[in-house]
Amino acid sequence: MRRVVVTGLGPVSSIGIGVSAYSQALQEGVSGVSPITSFDATGFPYSIAGEVHDFDPEQLVKRIETEEWGRTSLFAASAARLAVADAGIDEDELARSRAGSCMGTTAGESQVLERMAADRLSAGYAELDPRLSRKLSAARVSQAVNRELRLTGDAVTLSTACSASNYALGYAFDLVRSGEADYMLAGGADSVCRWAHAGFYRLGALTEKACSPFDANRSGIITGEGGAALFLETLESATARGARIYAEVLGYGLNCDATHMVAPDKDSIADCIRLAHKNAGIEASSVDYICAHGTGTQSNDAVEAGAVAEVFGEQPPPMSSIKSMLGHTMGAASGHGAIASALAINESFLPPTINFSTPDPALPAIDPVPNWAKAARVDVAQVNGFAFGGNNAIVVLGSAA
Amino acid sequence: MTDTMAITGLGVLSGAGIGAPALAGALSAPQTTDVSEMFEEPLPGGQAHALADFKVRDHLGRKGTSFYDRSTAFGVVACQEALADSALEVDDENRTRVGIVLGTTAGSVKSSWDYTTETLTQERPYLVNPVLFPNAVMNCTAGQAAIRHNLRGPNATVAGGPLAMLNVLRYSRNLLNCGYADALLSGSIEEFGPQEAWRVHHAQSLEGGDLLPGEGAAVFVIESAEAVRAAGRTPDVEVLAVETGVFDPASAGSGLADGLTLCLSRALERAGVTAGQVSTVATAANGMTRLDEAEEAAINAVLGSDVPRLEVKEATGETSSASGALQLAALLARHRGGEAGDGDISVITSRDEEGAAGAAVIRGWNRAHGDNG
Repeated sequence: MRRVVVTGLGPVSSIGIGVSAYSQALQEGVSGVSPITSFDATGFPYSIAGEVHDFDPEQLVKRIETEEWGRTSLFAASAARLAVADAGIDEDELARSRAGSCMGTTAGESQVLERMAADRLSAGYAELDPRLSRKLSAARVSQAVNRELRLTGDAVTLSTACSASNYALGYAFDLVRSGEADYMLAGGADSVCRWAHAGFYRLGALTEKACSPFDANRSGIITGEGGAALFLETLESATARGARIYAEVLGYGLNCDATHMVAPDKDSIADCIRLAHKNAGIEASSVDYICAHGTGTQSNDAVEAGAVAEVFGEQPPPMSSIKSMLGHTMGAASGHGAIASALAINESFLPPTINFSTPDPALPAIDPVPNWAKAARVDVAQVNGFAFGGNNAIVVLGSAA
Repeated sequence: MTDTMAITGLGVLSGAGIGAPALAGALSAPQTTDVSEMFEEPLPGGQAHALADFKVRDHLGRKGTSFYDRSTAFGVVACQEALADSALEVDDENRTRVGIVLGTTAGSVKSSWDYTTETLTQERPYLVNPVLFPNAVMNCTAGQAAIRHNLRGPNATVAGGPLAMLNVLRYSRNLLNCGYADALLSGSIEEFGPQEAWRVHHAQSLEGGDLLPGEGAAVFVIESAEAVRAAGRTPDVEVLAVETGVFDPASAGSGLADGLTLCLSRALERAGVTAGQVSTVATAANGMTRLDEAEEAAINAVLGSDVPRLEVKEATGETSSASGALQLAALLARHRGGEAGDGDISVITSRDEEGAAGAAVIRGWNRAHGDNG
């Protein structure tokens, strides 16, 4: 098996577009949360989200026609374009290579679906715009990446909800290490939408003002959006072309709770952590940082901290949640987490959990890196991703040095 | 070849009914159903290849199934049928090593659509039913199937549209070859409903064709072929190669044809099979002129014009993300029914409007008398 490294990062997020802006925002502990504008939030008791207001796909994509693609596909294509530029690889050479994409998503083209559902109420099914209807398929989230970059290999959309980016990163890692592909774009994308906002509210999982993971007074998630892409290639190819290496993908673990569609399962998550460590060939003691799933709900954070304590013992490594800054970017969430972790390794800092005021005595002792980023050497980072359906996926990144 | 997959069980639902014989029957005598009473909303037409009388409780009982949407019900039933059709016994020893990989277009579009409609029509936009929220998310079926059958291995959902099953096969092969799982329930699903019927209708207004919409699911028990044979068991089908890619659909149709040609040639090469050995091609032909012509051009270029075509959508209707699974199920059903010979090699081709293309090469046997390679 070949060693696989990350040489390009493409974050499109509410706290920054592009790797420099994103890294700076993580280090400054910026909040990307603001009043919702992408849909009419009138009547919703809580109406803030982590929207990417300055997302202008026209400025980011070069090849695909923006009017032919939904917002989520454009997030994916834009993120991939940024990752390729960051990797510094020649675009024509990439297009000629065995290259593809694997993107995760929770709700796919949710804004397209909402527009269609609204049009149907006002005009009827027969009057729906066929060109809008064509944008509905979630397969297009990865196809947009391939079309934008002229990649002729796999285009795979993994729609495993909120851990989907970790699934995508894991699969892309396997395709490169097994020799099935030489370059892969991996990550995820999602758009803020009414139905998810309503659903999380009715589950009691949405918070009104600020997402404060691991805090005693945490009260839920903020819905978010964006795109995340990581450029993967072999260590050999990165070295040969003198590329900057952010991190090595060491391995990942997948499992399924098979107990409940919505409630997380501590033992199952602990199993998944152990599986990820085993597959990555590391011991728990070598993990320097955990980029938490950390949604900010009572139940997720308690279960996640409990599972971490079960595996790591009394002194787990620092574990922060960037969802405190971005909101929950759903299918892009663990992609944003993986990018943050690659930056943590490369730039030697721990991203903070912002909005933190009161430690929760009911949680095991964890260090959530409260409010301010911390300088620290990170050789191994663990990216947690959990989801509806009990779809757990954990990726382990390491310093390539 | 050490990385091929064995199919050792099948669960299939199509508009023709449940099970392989119903699908095989529809291949020779396609039938449609009156769907005009199925939904309150208007449909583009009164006939479809749908399971109009399907009730989940007839197959799974009432317990735990009352909130299943149609896609979830199809998927869970297909998983149940596939397990029953196979020798795979799931117990506490192996349940963390048995996973699920299911294909879709956008999940149960009806579920997300109805949820959205509630936010637009209720007195307050948040007055949605929280119990139905997971149904609106695309991984609902795979998650519910895992709960129902207590399978704790990797659980994945692949949104591939028409390419879904080929993506699922490649993803499944990776899970087995890299050691993440020992056995998988892998398949793909599409449900019929107003949203899907109109989506097909509107797609045909852009691309041509007049196939009636259909629905269905096929789930396969998939294991490493090497492991199956080492255990003294025999595959129903061996999946020899699966190749996919995305090509420029705009370059006067030739981009897609050339792309599919490439996938098909690569698949034959990796399968170690010559064009002359291929006895049947199960195509994705659906009357969409541009796509059908590209597909035919690729098949002619690689396999020649004489290889018999099996146009599965004639029997199943337009089933979008279930189509690849039903193509594979149809080929397997022909081995079971005796229409295909032991050891026969077949090809599955697929393509979509955005330039995605793919091909699989398989070999099948009759379970009763095949020597199964």
